[in-house]
Amino acid sequence: MGKTNIFNAFFLGVEDLTNKVVKSKYNPFYYHGALPQFIMYILFLSGLLLFAYYVPTVDNAYSSLNLVNAFTSVDYITNKIPFGAVIRGVHRYAGDAMVVAIVLHAVRVWFTDRFRQYRWVQWISGIVLLIMVLFIGQTGYYLIWDERSLLLTRMTVSAFDSVPFIGESLKHWFMNGRTITNLTLSNFLFIHIGLSFTLLFALWIHYVRMTRPVITPPPALNYILMAIVFAVVYMVPITATRMADLNATPTMMDVDLFFLWPYQILAAAGPLGYWFWMVVIFGALCLVPLPMFYGSKPVEAAEVVNDKCVGCRLCSLDCPYQAIEMVPAPAGSRFKLLATVKPFRCSGCGVCVGACAFDAIDLPNMEDAEVTARIKQLVEA
Amino acid sequence: MGEVKTVITLICERAADLSSETGENGHLASQPGVKVVKFPCSGMIQPLMVEAALSSGADGVIVCGCQIGDCYYREGNKMIRDRLLGLRPPGLKKADRRRILALWLARPQKDRFLSEAKDFQDYLTQLGDPAKPAAKAPAKPAAKAEAKPAEKAEEKPAEKAEEKPAEKGEAKPAEKAEEKPAEKAEEKPAADKKSEEKPEAKKSDKKKSEEKAESKAEGNGDESSKKDDKKDE
Repeated sequence: MGKTNIFNAFFLGVEDLTNKVVKSKYNPFYYHGALPQFIMYILFLSGLLLFAYYVPTVDNAYSSLNLVNAFTSVDYITNKIPFGAVIRGVHRYAGDAMVVAIVLHAVRVWFTDRFRQYRWVQWISGIVLLIMVLFIGQTGYYLIWDERSLLLTRMTVSAFDSVPFIGESLKHWFMNGRTITNLTLSNFLFIHIGLSFTLLFALWIHYVRMTRPVITPPPALNYILMAIVFAVVYMVPITATRMADLNATPTMMDVDLFFLWPYQILAAAGPLGYWFWMVVIFGALCLVPLPMFYGSKPVEAAEVVNDKCVGCRLCSLDCPYQAIEMVPAPAGSRFKLLATVKPFRCSGCGVCVGACAFDAIDLPNMEDAEVTARIKQLVEA
Repeated sequence: MGEVKTVITLICERAADLSSETGENGHLASQPGVKVVKFPCSGMIQPLMVEAALSSGADGVIVCGCQIGDCYYREGNKMIRDRLLGLRPPGLKKADRRRILALWLARPQKDRFLSEAKDFQDYLTQLGDPAKPAAKAPAKPAAKAEAKPAEKAEEKPAEKAEEKPAEKGEAKPAEKAEEKPAEKAEEKPAADKKSEEKPEAKKSDKKKSEEKAESKAEGNGDESSKKDDKKDE
């Protein structure tokens, strides 16, 4: 059975070329999961700074000279606060970078075959994380409260309204009332920030089945990423827009495809078509790990030889997938701890076998005693 | 020296793809003397297996895993590398570490493996027969790379000839050892030239193996002092 296919080979080839240019410690392909994590920190920090000056209201009585609402507060940040435009640009483009980084991460995970069997929790939680990130970005676009925001809000309301049974409630939840008011915008702010913090919880699930997940790119890569973001911020300044007017009906304008591609679908296919496509796309993504699509042989989990285990914990510490747990040794044992394998988390890699100095754990189809015998046999052959 | 050196290769299934070269008995067709044992992951390799190979008469052992940073099972290659370097238990006990070569190769790098295996066999030919157990200096636990110029200065000129294949033009020992007093006592300085040169030779040869390893993997900055400028050829 081939362990690789053409896509995997493509990645390996590209990564090999990259390894010739930089050391593998700095190869960005090996940090495809860590880069979105770092970008999240950039977003949290820049978002915090924007939050300091943002006002979530929609009032736009033109007669007032000192009008303070969401749009004017964003305008104030962009034009009056020193480096406000930079922070806003960083927040916006780091968000786009986040979507790009997540998609690249997912692509590499898929093509290098790291999503199946014992890794399914990571894949499904990754899909959930992607949906959350997309929605957070969309609420970010509503918060500016310009014409585009109003259009997007109305489109979202119509999409929610079309959901059977719960559509009406969803719509009222989303608008925080029956119409768009100040409460709506403070709801958007709550969703934007609250869901961002919920990302941390979802990330915990994403990481929980891995020991020592790689979540920190080397500083050099972080600097390069920041430099790219700043370069984009200066080269592509955010264009000014017009304040939303609840009495007007704005039409479709330039949209940021990274986050707003669902709205293109919504505009093209209508609300029901939109839900159909969203369910199909994300449902298909969730089904990717199903074994029926990839004829992989079932994992034969490692097995502990209970009488030989001394409870040294090395297998448990070394296991890359949190599949070995130390439990109190049975009464009458000389030792305090006993290793146990959780078979559904086991990948069959054998790192535990390599860690054990007491011959107390084995892969059922490849016992280390057999291997050692084979090695000796080969030497003498 | 026409004798073919026996090299046992412990390789993982997802590293360099040798299946086209390997006969059913595990012998490499294109490289006589090299025999291959496959594992699902290089992390499964026990240092005991490496020692078993050497003590039953193999001239050398190649341990081959995926590129550092790209283990299919996340950490297996780092695990075996740390075990071989003595950074992680269990470790090597009595093996002559000059005879162990660690390679971190991606799947398409079969040719790289073959050329490294050939170089390794040439090197083993120069090393001569495996030393008797009493004369072998024990494996030293390796600290992270700290250059030890003082030890390097102790090198005898005679070693240089032996180390030429090992040297890649850098005069830094590989990793360094906390020399345990117990281990020093085991060396038999007078009788066996090898044991004295072993610390340096071993360092430089382990360095050689690490350099080889790192020159492929440009691995982990942990051992980076010697390979700051090493690029993959």
